[in-house]
Amino acid sequence: MPDKSKGLSRAREIYENRSHRARELKADGKKIIGYPCVYVPLEILTAFDLVPYRTYGDMKEPVTEADRALPTAFCPIMRSCLDCALKSRDDFLDGMVTAHSCDPQEKTSHVWESYTHYPYFHFLDVPGTVRPEALEYFKGQLSDFKKLLESFVGQELAPDKLKAAIELCNQQRALVRQLYELTKPSPPLISGTEIIEVIKALTSLPVSEGNELLAEVLGEVKERRDGPEKKPARLLVWTGTLDDVDIMQIIEGEANVVIDDNCCGLRAYRADVKLTDDPLHGLADYYLTEITCARTFREAVIGETSKDYAADLQSRFGYLKRLLREWNVNGVILLLVRYCDPFAFEMPGLKDYLDSLGMPSTYIEHDYTQGGLAPLRTRAEAFIETLH
Amino acid sequence: MTTEQKKRAIDRLESMRPLRAKVNESYLNSVEAMKAGKPTVWGMLNFYYGDPILKAMDLEVVYPENYGAALAATGVAQQYLDRSDADGFPTHLCGYSRASLGYTSRMMRELGGEIPPEAPLGGMPKPIFLMASTAVCDARYKWFQALGRYMDVPVWTFEAPIAGVKELFMEGSYQRMVDMGVKHLREFVAFVESVSGKKMDWDRLTETVDLMIEVNRIWHETSELRKARPCPMHSRDFWSSMPPALFLMGDLEDALQCYRDIYDEVKRRVDSHVGAISEEKYRLFFAELPPWHSLAFFDRLAERGWNFVIESFGYHPPIPLDLSGVNDPLERITRFSFEVFFGYYKDAQEQNVPAGSFAYPYLKYAEEWKCDGALLHPLISCRSASTHLPWVSNALVERLKVPSLTVEGDIVDLRLFDPEDAMAKAEPFEETMEHYRKVRKQEGFDW
Repeated sequence: MPDKSKGLSRAREIYENRSHRARELKADGKKIIGYPCVYVPLEILTAFDLVPYRTYGDMKEPVTEADRALPTAFCPIMRSCLDCALKSRDDFLDGMVTAHSCDPQEKTSHVWESYTHYPYFHFLDVPGTVRPEALEYFKGQLSDFKKLLESFVGQELAPDKLKAAIELCNQQRALVRQLYELTKPSPPLISGTEIIEVIKALTSLPVSEGNELLAEVLGEVKERRDGPEKKPARLLVWTGTLDDVDIMQIIEGEANVVIDDNCCGLRAYRADVKLTDDPLHGLADYYLTEITCARTFREAVIGETSKDYAADLQSRFGYLKRLLREWNVNGVILLLVRYCDPFAFEMPGLKDYLDSLGMPSTYIEHDYTQGGLAPLRTRAEAFIETLH
Repeated sequence: MTTEQKKRAIDRLESMRPLRAKVNESYLNSVEAMKAGKPTVWGMLNFYYGDPILKAMDLEVVYPENYGAALAATGVAQQYLDRSDADGFPTHLCGYSRASLGYTSRMMRELGGEIPPEAPLGGMPKPIFLMASTAVCDARYKWFQALGRYMDVPVWTFEAPIAGVKELFMEGSYQRMVDMGVKHLREFVAFVESVSGKKMDWDRLTETVDLMIEVNRIWHETSELRKARPCPMHSRDFWSSMPPALFLMGDLEDALQCYRDIYDEVKRRVDSHVGAISEEKYRLFFAELPPWHSLAFFDRLAERGWNFVIESFGYHPPIPLDLSGVNDPLERITRFSFEVFFGYYKDAQEQNVPAGSFAYPYLKYAEEWKCDGALLHPLISCRSASTHLPWVSNALVERLKVPSLTVEGDIVDLRLFDPEDAMAKAEPFEETMEHYRKVRKQEGFDW
């Protein structure tokens, strides 16, 4: 019998009751800071000994409260996140940090701040390009973020603390990458569904506790005999946010999801923050250039004066090629959350890129509701059948 | 009532017509120049950053957003929308973008780069580059990036920083934005020189920037005159007249004279208490993008005494700011462009409103233009122009006791706007406006 207080069982328990540990920490005097997406540098929060707590939506909770604050034809994940906040799901938070990762989040941030009363609320502007002047500007944004936190906690941040936090977060990134190594065998030793549980658990814990959990999970998974069955297809799921196991279970009904590009998956862990003399420089570079969200404008050569479509696709999606090869993927699901413009505009281009690699792919859209699962199942199963 | 009489429900400005004629003329001149082989740029509405530079370098610019509206208005859009869908772009994307993706697909894949014969207004020729912007919405740069599927044309994406209200006023924050903006524009000039083979005439740029600032100052002052009761100028005249100020369309010297004429006419109306409609019963603002295909709807509301006295924050010029101490034209452009979105931030901070652009300005509009109500127009396919509207609706009632009427619609798709349904809601909304008039009076508001 697995020890339910450890490893995968503990990850599942945290997934199902995410705020439990955060509330305990709060009772012990820790300050808990919410954030809704991977563009918020956890290193800075961690360096201040604040507990970063990612606020997700809840697909199973019908949106009601957010109806008074946001239009209905709008990013369903942002609507759900705000709905949860307005229903006081995260009433233990001491603050919230949002980012300009996309237009819906930028605009929702201000609505969110209007309707809630956290002691601390910060909006982090993130440039849209990776140009040098944008990077410099973003570094300044991170500096302001740090200054406001200094004011919030009443203490200046020593550079060595920030460096230590970067190392701690990099350790987490390395551990997550080790976890994905365990999906390389056939059958994989851990399922895509379990990975979502683990990642969601990590983002509910202080980074150091998350690293302990990851070490347990890695030990358990390497030794397990009850891993996923081998399925006829090995898939990569490319999406904005896939944070609910119900969706992943549908896809994994007939396939093994062995790798993803998902902001509740590999995306925040794919690369490390470089340890630079000025830690903010390494952080700015990582968050602006290394996170592979469709929201960032990339081009083959910065400021290029001519365009080559193949080179353009390579600059935007080239990182996927290694994932497809090393994880021996034979199909890709492009999973779009309705009304997500940055990912929606990528669909034909990414399909072109995958076609150029001879990789079958399909585009499936869902609306982040339970009611949307049945059509998703039909589409996913139909695609997987074509891969047999 | 005859059609002729209905048209008179709004007393349009005479001075708007020559300006409008110049806009149309300059559009046709552009089309002719482009057809003759003059280099063309496709631009996104970018709130001034790149426009004065292209103007000073004598490059023709077409705006696919505007052209999307033209495709809709002329009934040609549907085939391009279908083509965009068939090419795999999701159907819930911005209607303008879908129309232009479909247009470009047809032009490049079927016609080898020739302008489609069915294209209205001379069409849009293949550009030498695409000028995108991160301002306001993600589509504004993702759409142009997606056009790379059809055209091997470089894309310049303008950074449009958008700090939060309290974050903007952190020490050094604004200056960092300015530093980025100036450097960015300098790089842009080098980019344009490289792509177009033209050299920047810096004296001409200085003149262009000065004209841009002056045109927009006059245009802003004209809106200030609309605070008069009755309001002398209707939103329809604002929308008809805005292209030279917003896009720097046509000859700016001519435009400046036209705007001065408009200002003078509006001032005369104020002095003689002449309103834009015959009997101003209700003063309203409109947010955000109007149903371009159904503007006659406003004439019907005018017949009921509804005067639209201010509108569309995103189309308004920045609040004038003193740039006399700034000599570098690139810095002048940068600061001027920032003012579009940051102009109300100080007020917003004082009023403890985190949404300093788009949302907060409507509270100012309602208060300063003494509005009885607001007509809010959320759009299915332009979510960025709709996100703030529920907040605006709530804040108006809570803070100022001003009610709003929400009528859903779209900028391109006619089927999503039902003017009859909207008219059916108008009468009961008048009762609501009457009620809140009394509430405001009881609570000590001055209108």
